[in-house]
Order: sequence, then structure tokens, then C-alpha cells
Amino acid sequence: MFSLFGTLAMLAGVGSAAVLLVQAIRGSMSDRSAAEVDLRPAAVGLLGSGIAAMAVLELALIFDDFTVSYVADHHSVTTPFPFNIATAWAALEGSIVLWCLVLSAFTWFVFRSHERSRDRLGTGAVAVMALVSLFFFALMVTVSNPFETCVEAGARSCVTSSPIPLVAADAPADGNGPNALLQNHILMAAHPPLLYVGYIGLTVPFAFAMSALAIGLPGPEWLRRSKRWTTIAWSFLTLGIVLGGWWAYEVLSWGGYWAWDPVENASFMPWLLATAFIHSATVQQRRSMLQAWNFVLVIGAFALTILGTFLTRSGTIVSVHSFTQSAIGPVLLGFLAFVLVGSFTLFAIRAPVVAQPSRMDSLSSREGSLLYNNLMLTVYAFVVLVGTVYPMVLEAFNGDLVRVGPPFYNRLAVPLSFALLLGMGIGPVMPWRVARPELVWKRIHLPLQIALTAGAAVILFTTDVGLIVVTVILAVFLIAVSARHLLSQAAHAAGIKGTSTSAEVRRMFSMDPGYWGGQVSHAGVALIAIGIASASLLASHTQVTMEPGDTVEFAGYELTYETPFTRTEPQRTVSGATIIAERDGEFVTELRPRQNVYPNFAQPVGTPEIHSTLGGDLYVTLRRLSPEGIVVDLDTSPMMWLVWLGGLVIVAGGVISAKARGVRRRSEAMEHV
Amino acid sequence: MRNGKFVIPALIGIAVASFFLVQSAAGDVEYYRYTSEVDRTQFTDGVRFRLAGTVVPGTITETVEASLFQISDGLETVDIRLVNTPPPLFDAEVEVLLEGAFEGDVFVADNAVIRHAAEYEAPPAGADLED
Repeated sequence: MFSLFGTLAMLAGVGSAAVLLVQAIRGSMSDRSAAEVDLRPAAVGLLGSGIAAMAVLELALIFDDFTVSYVADHHSVTTPFPFNIATAWAALEGSIVLWCLVLSAFTWFVFRSHERSRDRLGTGAVAVMALVSLFFFALMVTVSNPFETCVEAGARSCVTSSPIPLVAADAPADGNGPNALLQNHILMAAHPPLLYVGYIGLTVPFAFAMSALAIGLPGPEWLRRSKRWTTIAWSFLTLGIVLGGWWAYEVLSWGGYWAWDPVENASFMPWLLATAFIHSATVQQRRSMLQAWNFVLVIGAFALTILGTFLTRSGTIVSVHSFTQSAIGPVLLGFLAFVLVGSFTLFAIRAPVVAQPSRMDSLSSREGSLLYNNLMLTVYAFVVLVGTVYPMVLEAFNGDLVRVGPPFYNRLAVPLSFALLLGMGIGPVMPWRVARPELVWKRIHLPLQIALTAGAAVILFTTDVGLIVVTVILAVFLIAVSARHLLSQAAHAAGIKGTSTSAEVRRMFSMDPGYWGGQVSHAGVALIAIGIASASLLASHTQVTMEPGDTVEFAGYELTYETPFTRTEPQRTVSGATIIAERDGEFVTELRPRQNVYPNFAQPVGTPEIHSTLGGDLYVTLRRLSPEGIVVDLDTSPMMWLVWLGGLVIVAGGVISAKARGVRRRSEAMEHV
Repeated sequence: MRNGKFVIPALIGIAVASFFLVQSAAGDVEYYRYTSEVDRTQFTDGVRFRLAGTVVPGTITETVEASLFQISDGLETVDIRLVNTPPPLFDAEVEVLLEGAFEGDVFVADNAVIRHAAEYEAPPAGADLED
């Protein structure tokens, strides 16, 4: 039954997307047709199809309908809530259903935007959204169908399935359940949908950009229409990346949160270009510059989301995420080629019409600093792209299986990150057009003193006077510049109006949320920078072997191994060790690092125990467990919480910025010159 | 376009940067090798790479600190010291992928992955899961 309803929903999605595409293309032919065309039935149909497909899949999982091949292959009756819900995006076919749901929702929002404008730009954007929706719904129907009916069941999976819904069905009594990694931590249930909203949200600026190119509309209108959605998508992408890192830290038992894994890179690359685009869009809106560049960034960011999908869903790479291998690789690669060739061809033909060149008055200006920021972010994305695709290219040429190790990324990421921190510190206080050195100095000399003082304090408290001091100086400078700028303007306004400084701060945020939201995000980046530097440069590590009753000293703690334990849960067996942590003879906490064995998966999944304090984390990973003793990795990650806090602050900045609606008239906005 | 004069220098710049980036990436690759493909002049002590082979029957010894065994691809046999807990399906004649580096004649691995299809393949109907 669920196979039938799911198939009908998919087919309705294909039909709705096709109708919407044709109608929107017709509507975008002229101003009159754009005003008259009625896209609502097809847009409603597409959104309804996306919702229905996901609802059917979730119901099939909740009701344990193992006649649905996806349920048989990726679900088990023992899978607990909420992981049974999250199983819907735990494997390839289900993740495409989620993709279609989110894409149909964004298409609906673009359609709503079109209903307000009733112009060719909006109608063209709906056409592009419909085209992308058509591709993904068709992908779901053809090579990634989660609603196939199981016609020959194995012991715990479906051996043979049919895309025809009403054939005689067979079903295993139970399935394997989702991948063990996916049911080991709640963050793994939450972070993929967030990433998807981020990925797919970048389709919106791409759609408006393609529409502007197709109809030859110059100017920043396409930016104004898509800016809010770009910021929302960027915020979700940021949150997804941060929670993904958090999950890796909590689950993968290697003490890290970022490994330059190709799947991580797949989300980081579009984030970098989207970040560059958010900044360069401001330059076009304020100074009519970087018009062509903005098209390139939007195309690049969207193409990288498709590349990321290809990398993670095609089995091209081997990583902790490689459980999503499938046969859809060639189709996604073909779509990526279509996007790149089609959009850049359109850009090459139309750029002379829609992108007027303009000259920058001075590189020493706000627009100059934003150009610098764009160059750094683009180079950063290019570095990550080279490191990610190099192994595939090498394998294609000589068959050598390799992967690019973290040293390559770290060697280039560190100087690029420093350059970006410096740009983030100075850029926001640079005036537009031309910056007089004395004005810039006036705005940065106090923050510079604060930053150098912070750097000196770090030298006093640590023996590491290298990268961490540079990081602290740059990060504190960044925060201090923004804080000084905010407080001095607010105090000045309060003095004139007789109001309070705090009231003026609130007013400034409400008057120009785009700018001040950006400053909040910059502060989040600074916090992350300090967190990463301290957690990596001041970390300590050791591996010890302990028998019951043994005590070891590590990082000021006395750690005593008491006893092993094993417990059986419905979906797994948990084995671990109880370790008592004391400091100066006083009980601190009980640590229970463990390994979880899921009956149908070859690899155990570890759960390290993390004792978090303001000073940092004590991270205990169980490496070996035997009746005679244990082997544990002991790590410290000083100031680790700053990484997570910084990530959330970046997202908060994005949320504040998303309140900004388009370009404010200069007279309405707060003056930042 | 007035900015068109920058296109060719920009492309040359991108090509040069790409060349140096690829050179840099090539210097930091972690290789994947079967036991007979290991060139000890390339994989000297401490150089991490991934080593694949089949666990040789009768060679597995468990200690508190490590699992000691040998793997082979039929041509060359390598002594292994696995410092992590082996995966549940680890056994003789199982193909494993190990991550680590040589210490003398012993490959010291800190991670072992049972090589199988990326997605778990359930045995056919009727088969005993304990087999």
C-alpha cells in the first residue's frame, strides 16, 4: 500500500514539476504573460508531492512495512525513536526524498515571491526551480526509487524489488536497521536535514541569477530577491556543518571534529562560495561592482552542491560516509555537466548585457576589502576542491588509490584563515569608495591595543608563542573592532537623542540587521578560531593500558579503572569500562567510554566519554577491551566549547541578517562610512 | 567587456596556482596498497598509508595491548600489530583494510575495517546469521 502511495506521489511530483516548468517558461517570455500566467496549481502540486512522498516513507517506517524495499533494507523493528524517523534520510533513496521535499518547499517560496512581483524575473526563477525539481523527482522515480516493492526477501533485507507497486510482495520479518553510525547519536539524525536545507537553499539565488541572465535583466534586482534566501540557506549550511563536526567529535572516537574528509569538504566548498557571494552581493548592491563575479559565485556555489551530492551519493569516494554508494553517479555527473555547461554558456552570452563593468575608486576601501575577502574565500574553496578531486583524477589516470591527507589542507588553510581573520577585522570599518588612513587608524587603534594586550597575556600563560598568539591577536582584534564600532556609534547617538546606549544598540541592529548580523557572525568566526587553535595546539594525548584497579595521572586528573561492563539493548550491545576521575584526591566524575556493537554491521561504533569544563574537555576513548584490561586514549581539548559556541554565534548572525529585506535606501540605513 | 583583458592573465594565474596546488597535494597523499605492492623505500617507518590483505589463519594472537596477526594478498605476508579493538567480524581469512605505518618489520595499525560491500549485504533467506 505504501509503495503504491509513494509511487503516486513521486509521479505526481514529476508531472507537477514538468507542468510548472512549461508554464513558467511560457510566462517568462513577456511582461504580460508573466503577469497573467497561473502557476499556483502546479506549484501546489509539486509541494504536495514532496510532502506526500516524505510522509508515505515515514509512515512505512513507523508501521514497519517491510514490503517497501527501502524499509526492508534500512529499518529494523528494534530501531528506537527518533532514529526510525531519521532512517528516512539514512540511505541514498530516502535522502533523495528529503531532497525533493526541501526543494519543493523552496520552489513554493520562489513561487510566492513570483506571485507578489508578477514579472519575468520571478517567473524565470520559478522555471529554473521547476527544472531542478524535475531532475530530482525524475531521479527518485528512476534510479533512486525508495518505494519499490520487495518481491523476494532475504533474511533481513530485500533481495529483489520491483518498481511496480501492485505486484505480489514479499517481506523479511525484520530488517538490518539504519547504518550503525547513524543510530549512535542524536546529532546524526538532525544534521543531514540541516545540511540539505543549506545545500538546496542555494538553488534559489542560482534560479534568480539564471532568470536574470536568460531575460537579460541588468542590475541588482535578482540579488535583492534572493538575498534573504541565500542568507537562510547559508545559516542552515553553517549549522549543519557545525553539528556535523560536533557529531564527529562525539562519535567517531578520534578526538577530532574535522578531518578534511571528502564528505566534509563537500559541504565546506559551497559554504565558502556562498559566504563570498553574501559579501560580494553587498558590493554590487551598494557600488554596482562585481556584477559578473556574482553570477560566477552563484553558479559555482550551486554546482558545488551538485558536486557534493555526486561525491557523497555516488560511491566515488571512500570515507566514513561511503555507505551511500549507489548507481546514480553517472546521472548526477551528467546533471553537474549540464549545470556547468548550460549556466556558463548562458553567462558568456548574456554577461555583456547584464553585468556592466565598473571601476573601483581605491583598493583601500570597503569594496576593496570585500574584494580581498572574496579572493581569499575563493582560493580557499579552490584549495579544498583540488584536495578533494585529486584522488579521483589520479585514480582515473593510473588506477592508484590514494587520499589527500590533512597536512595538505592544514598547510594552506592556516595562512588563508589568518588572512581572512585580518580582512574581517579591518574590512567592516573601512569606508566605501576611499578610506583615509587617519580615519581607519582612528577606528582600529584601540582594538589593536586590546588585541596586542590579549596576545601578551597568552604569552604569559602558555609556552606556545607561535600560531596561538597570532590567532588570539587576530580574533580579539576582529571582535574589538566590531564592538568599538557598535558602542561608539550607539553612545554618540544616545548622547544626541538623550536615549540609552543599549536602546541605540537595539535600534542599530533593527535598522541594519544585514550589517550587524554579519558582525555577529564575524565574532563567531573569531571564537571558533581561538577554539580551534587552543584545542589543537594546546592539546595533550597519551595511550595507556590499564588493568582493574590501576590508576594513571593525566592532565591533572587521577584516573582509576574500576570495572568493565556490558549491557544489551534492543538494537545493540554496549561494552565499556568504568573509570573514576579524581583531582587532588577529590571525586570529579565517572567516565564510561564504550563500544557499541550493532548485530548487522561489521564495524563497532565507539562512544567516547567527554568530561567538559570551561577549561576544556577530557576525552577518553576505549580502544581495546578484554577481561584482563583496557587500552584507552586520553586526550585534552582546551577551550573546545568555543568551537561549538562560535558556530552557534555564526548561525545567530545569519538569523539576524536574514531579517534584512533587500537593499535599504542609504538614508534609511545606519551610516557605516 | 572592458575587463576582458584580464581574462587570459587570470586563466594563466589559475593554471599556475593549480599546478602548484596539485604538486602540493601529491606530496601529502595517503596511499592504499596490497601487501605485495608495498615498497619499503617509499613507505618508511612512520609513513602512514592503508594496507589491505587477508588475515592469515592461525596467526591471530590477542594481548591486552594489541591484536597480533599476519595479512597476505597471496604474494607477500606482513606482520600486523593492531592497537584498537578488532571489528566484530574480524577473523581468519577475512579481508581487512588497515590504517597505520610501519615500525620496523611490523605494520602498526590504529584502525581496521573489514572489507566488504559498502552497504551491508544480508545473507540469503534461510542462512544462519551465526555462520
